[in-house]
Amino acid sequence: MDIQAYISSGKLELFLLGELGEREREEVVRMAKKYPEIQKELDQLQDAFLEIDQKSGIAPSDSVKNKIFKTLEADLVKEVKSPVREVSPAKVIPMQPWKTYFAAACIAAVLATFAAIYYANQYFDIDQKFTALVQEQSVLAEELNQYKVNFEKTDVQLETLLAGNFEKVSMKGDGFEIEKDALVDVWWDKGANSVFVSVNNLSSLEDQYDYQLWAIGDQGPVGIGLVNADQKFSLQQMEAVASAGTFAITIEPKGGSQSPTLEKLVVIGNVG
Amino acid sequence: MEEPQLIAGLRAKDRKTIEYLYDKYSKALFTVISRIIIDKDIAEEVFHDAFIKITRKIDSYEESKGRLYTWMSNICRNAAIDRTRSKEFSNSSKTNTIDDYVYGLESASGTSDLVDAIGVKELLDDLNEEQRFMVECIYFKGYTHSEVSEEFDIPLGTVKSRIRAAINVLKKNLGKI
Repeated sequence: MDIQAYISSGKLELFLLGELGEREREEVVRMAKKYPEIQKELDQLQDAFLEIDQKSGIAPSDSVKNKIFKTLEADLVKEVKSPVREVSPAKVIPMQPWKTYFAAACIAAVLATFAAIYYANQYFDIDQKFTALVQEQSVLAEELNQYKVNFEKTDVQLETLLAGNFEKVSMKGDGFEIEKDALVDVWWDKGANSVFVSVNNLSSLEDQYDYQLWAIGDQGPVGIGLVNADQKFSLQQMEAVASAGTFAITIEPKGGSQSPTLEKLVVIGNVG
Repeated sequence: MEEPQLIAGLRAKDRKTIEYLYDKYSKALFTVISRIIIDKDIAEEVFHDAFIKITRKIDSYEESKGRLYTWMSNICRNAAIDRTRSKEFSNSSKTNTIDDYVYGLESASGTSDLVDAIGVKELLDDLNEEQRFMVECIYFKGYTHSEVSEEFDIPLGTVKSRIRAAINVLKKNLGKI
């Protein structure tokens, strides 16, 4: 490469006059980087160009300067400004593109994190509510089932009462000291021999005792079942009885006895 | 102010930097324009627009492609050339010659600028006919080298070497001023 020939070709002058095409311009830039002599020539030429222009003309009128700065007014950074604003342009300019992307990525990551936390909370909340609803639903289903069972039982009892030919025998406690206001009804279908009890008013017993129903007929008292004092106004089925003149309830040890403890007679009622 | 500092200030649209730029380079840049456009009012109008363009387009300036002044002077030169080629201009004015310019400077400027006007004469001393013609075409008429080659039927390589020779003479003459 003949550097001197390159320099004296006049290409560098045209380069500085902005007359070269894109490719030739790049070539000069590349050559100047590679060969210090070419860079030196470019420097000298630029010095000369400036000096020629400086020394061979006249300055524009003063009014031009005012006009220019009036036009630029909107573009210019204000003289009185907050230190933050003064610093920020200088900060922004050296930023490399990757930093912009990095900053954008950081913002995106932070936003994504917040979104994730937000939706995780939402999910947790909803999940809790859902679990509560499922539990509530199963409780309701259980209750419903209970009502259904109760209803069916009641329905059967009603049907029993309506279908059968029952005689009501009211047993009262006003003759005895134990529970004067006790009232228990016996429902007896003499044709079918079936006996039901419905408790109207009867005190609860301690755990070691039971109320026992006795049918008293020609063969003496016969125990026909235990009565639940807490199950009020519902039919409790007892054992079948063919003949009886009197029904009575005594308090017996848990599980009932073979023969009634007469001292602990609670209520009594005669048939018919 | 060093050039990198100057460029950073321009990019930040800092008023003081732009004022510094104006004070330091306005005369040289205006010269680039007024060599091509005789009418001082039109030249100032073109200069106004070119200077605004310089401050607004500073982000497109690339340090690797030459100094700031080189870039700015090309903007001014191109603005002036564009103006001479616009319709309204070609109807009202004629293009400049060296003699018009020197004569114009001598008559238009006050005493303080007279020294510079004399400087122009000395600057253009010692140019031979060919070189003088090149300076006139490139500097005063705003021709590109390929336009000179085409219009006056001079080979492109010859145009280039004559431009270089002419600038060499101007460089030498700078020492005399």
